[in-house]
Amino acid sequence: MTAGTAQPLKPLSLKKDGDGLRIEWNDGATTFAPFRALRKSCPCASCTEDVGKPIDPFRVLSAQEAAAGAPVPVGMKPVGFYAYQITWNDGHDTGIYPLELLRSLGENVSPR
Amino acid sequence: MPPPMPGQKLELPGVKYIIAVASGKGGVGKSTVAANLALALHMHGQRVGLMDADIYGPSVPMMFGLGLVDQTKTPFPIEKFGLSLMSMGFLVDPNQAIIWRGPKVAQAVGSFLGQINWGELDFLIIDLPPGTGDAQLTLSQAAPLTGALIVTQPAEVSLIDARKGVRMFEEVRVPILGIIENMSYLIATDGSKHTPFGSGGGKKLANEIGVPFLGEIPIDQMVSTCGDSGEPIVRKYPDHPVSKAYTELAATMLREVPKLAVGGLPAVDLG
Repeated sequence: MTAGTAQPLKPLSLKKDGDGLRIEWNDGATTFAPFRALRKSCPCASCTEDVGKPIDPFRVLSAQEAAAGAPVPVGMKPVGFYAYQITWNDGHDTGIYPLELLRSLGENVSPR
Repeated sequence: MPPPMPGQKLELPGVKYIIAVASGKGGVGKSTVAANLALALHMHGQRVGLMDADIYGPSVPMMFGLGLVDQTKTPFPIEKFGLSLMSMGFLVDPNQAIIWRGPKVAQAVGSFLGQINWGELDFLIIDLPPGTGDAQLTLSQAAPLTGALIVTQPAEVSLIDARKGVRMFEEVRVPILGIIENMSYLIATDGSKHTPFGSGGGKKLANEIGVPFLGEIPIDQMVSTCGDSGEPIVRKYPDHPVSKAYTELAATMLREVPKLAVGGLPAVDLG
């Protein structure tokens, strides 16, 4: 009773693997997305607005941002049936990553 | 119970199936379809709740002969005609406009779902407002929706917005149960059939997006007369042709909805 007959893209498992996220998909593919790439591609309104703007040299980092170091998710929870919301170690948590975005940000790797 | 946080996933363990009744366009009869479908499911022996998610323009109270209630003395949901009902219209005077920005709407919808004790239900029917805005997004993100029914009129102007509703549900991966064409035709007193809004629009949309066409519901003055008098047609005149259309729709849903098994997304191992 759903649109189309093809099985929609769905992750079977998501696991932290070193400095990135390894995802096994229902079409047999396994992808690896570095956390840095995920953080840089945050789809939230404020991050997408910042894309293309010159870097503000006077922006003062918050204590949490300064202490965070390399981006690492501290939380990642499903949103409905279509996305995951990532909470980063710098405190940023407004990005909702649709499955298609997670797939496109990952490189195909061999399954383990 | 505290109000749910934005984006918080709500659990309704006592509810088997949660069905959103939606359209892109206003005025196509979503509330009428939702109310009559809920009653038709109840007549099939199901335990049914009806949640009116149209915060700005709630219709459920009038259709069920209810209105503003004393919140301090009334337990929600309100029981009427065997259904469990919740609506903004129980909380705010019908003459008072609700002038809220999106986040408040999302909060109200989240509260209706998460703070009301819906108990044990087979179906929770959610009557959505028109459009693809805050109420729809909140439900798609926070509620474990089983599927969505799209209501349209046959006219192209209605199909344009219905397509947007379909696209939204596709984006958020809520299965579309099918298309219901409301106000399809009317039968004049001489028995002649008229199609004032054109014909075939609902079928066309269903074919276009590859979902079932669930049926045509005719225009009949009795539908609005019953709704305005506080007793939907399915309950007041169960043998009326319009009521029979709803009974068939309910039977289709009882057959097809259990086949929909949309599993949630797996948890992430951040080790």
